[in-house]
Amino acid sequence: MNRAPRSIDEYLKQLRDALQGSDPALIQDALYDAEEYLRAECASHPDKSEADVLELIASTYGAPEEVATAYRDTEAKVSAALRPITPRSVESSNPLRRFFGVYSDSRAYLSLFYMLLTLVTGILYFVFVVTGLSLSAGLAVLIIGLPFFLAFIGIARVLALGEGRLLEAITGERMPRRPVHPGPRSGVWARIGEMLKDARTWTTLAYLLLMLPLGIFYFVVAVTGFSLAAGLVVGPFMVLAQHLGWDFNDGISVMQPALLAAPLIAPFTIALGVLIFTALMHAARGIGRLQVAFARALLVKPGM
Amino acid sequence: MDDSHARKFQKDLNAGLVALVLLAVLNRTSEDLYGYEIAKRLQKANEGESLFKEGTVYPVLRALSAHGLLTSRIVPSYSGPPRRYYRITAEGRAVLGDWSGIWVQTRDFVDRFIEGVEE
Repeated sequence: MNRAPRSIDEYLKQLRDALQGSDPALIQDALYDAEEYLRAECASHPDKSEADVLELIASTYGAPEEVATAYRDTEAKVSAALRPITPRSVESSNPLRRFFGVYSDSRAYLSLFYMLLTLVTGILYFVFVVTGLSLSAGLAVLIIGLPFFLAFIGIARVLALGEGRLLEAITGERMPRRPVHPGPRSGVWARIGEMLKDARTWTTLAYLLLMLPLGIFYFVVAVTGFSLAAGLVVGPFMVLAQHLGWDFNDGISVMQPALLAAPLIAPFTIALGVLIFTALMHAARGIGRLQVAFARALLVKPGM
Repeated sequence: MDDSHARKFQKDLNAGLVALVLLAVLNRTSEDLYGYEIAKRLQKANEGESLFKEGTVYPVLRALSAHGLLTSRIVPSYSGPPRRYYRITAEGRAVLGDWSGIWVQTRDFVDRFIEGVEE
């Protein structure tokens, strides 16, 4: 049992300690909520000192340990009660149904969309970081160099938060909903120093840079997989149409032997196409999860 | 001894009731409220020993919001970190209707035994 906190910073520190090991996003939420309450409570009792207000907190807001427990329990209970049954929990034991069950999982479609989107976001992030870093370096000798660099880092953090929100929307995995809690209030210079020392600042930039190669890779996998599958499924129908005298003008010419064999191999190519597309959906879902793990490692401060 | 039994019972009850009360509070007001305001309204309505700690209100608000029963927006504040204002959604109203029905049923059922009306 900790001694009763005497100041808001002390309270927040104890709350953070009590939540040690929980989801970083949950810890951030809890700290923000507590700070909102404690500061509002202090502001509404201007006649009392911070220590006097804090004395009563345990009986109104709750002691840090109590509040920590409330966050952990609520996250588990209310979420479990409200969450619609996810496809994962109704997964059948039949491997065939499990394989094709991916089509009823909205996360697979969203992840596929994310794979296409990452080419765009990857290019934007990359250009942003490279421009920001080189301009910061170039302007370093001028007086606006430092403010420029700080603004650059600030925007990078906003991008990182946005990326987290995007990933949460796609995979349903919890990501931070707010910027990292800055911790106890300190001077501007101390904060700048902390920011530079903070490994997360640099891993965030690394993440944004890495999104270009990753984005290209995801995009290529998604487009190749989709076109291959679509070609295999649609191809036999094109051949059939040609048999029926449909003229495709130019471009698509089916070789004579293929034309003859088509009716025989058509079922196989269609099946193969469906198989490839289903595998792509599974890959997309897997990539979504991997990307979340990757984003957590680089964008979310561990133990916060 | 008895006190700890009472506390545990209260805690178990609150698990679902806090969410119901919060929906009801936000349903009755036309303005958006932030966590502290809601906590104070509950404290005022509840005379004497507090039924639950105000700190337990916040995580429930977040959970409700995450499930689309409430919407929230963030407004900067002079006295501390930005405040998150909550408002009930149409889905929240529907859920509140369902839950209120369940609550009334449950309350009547329990009362029947406690008051011993049922033979």
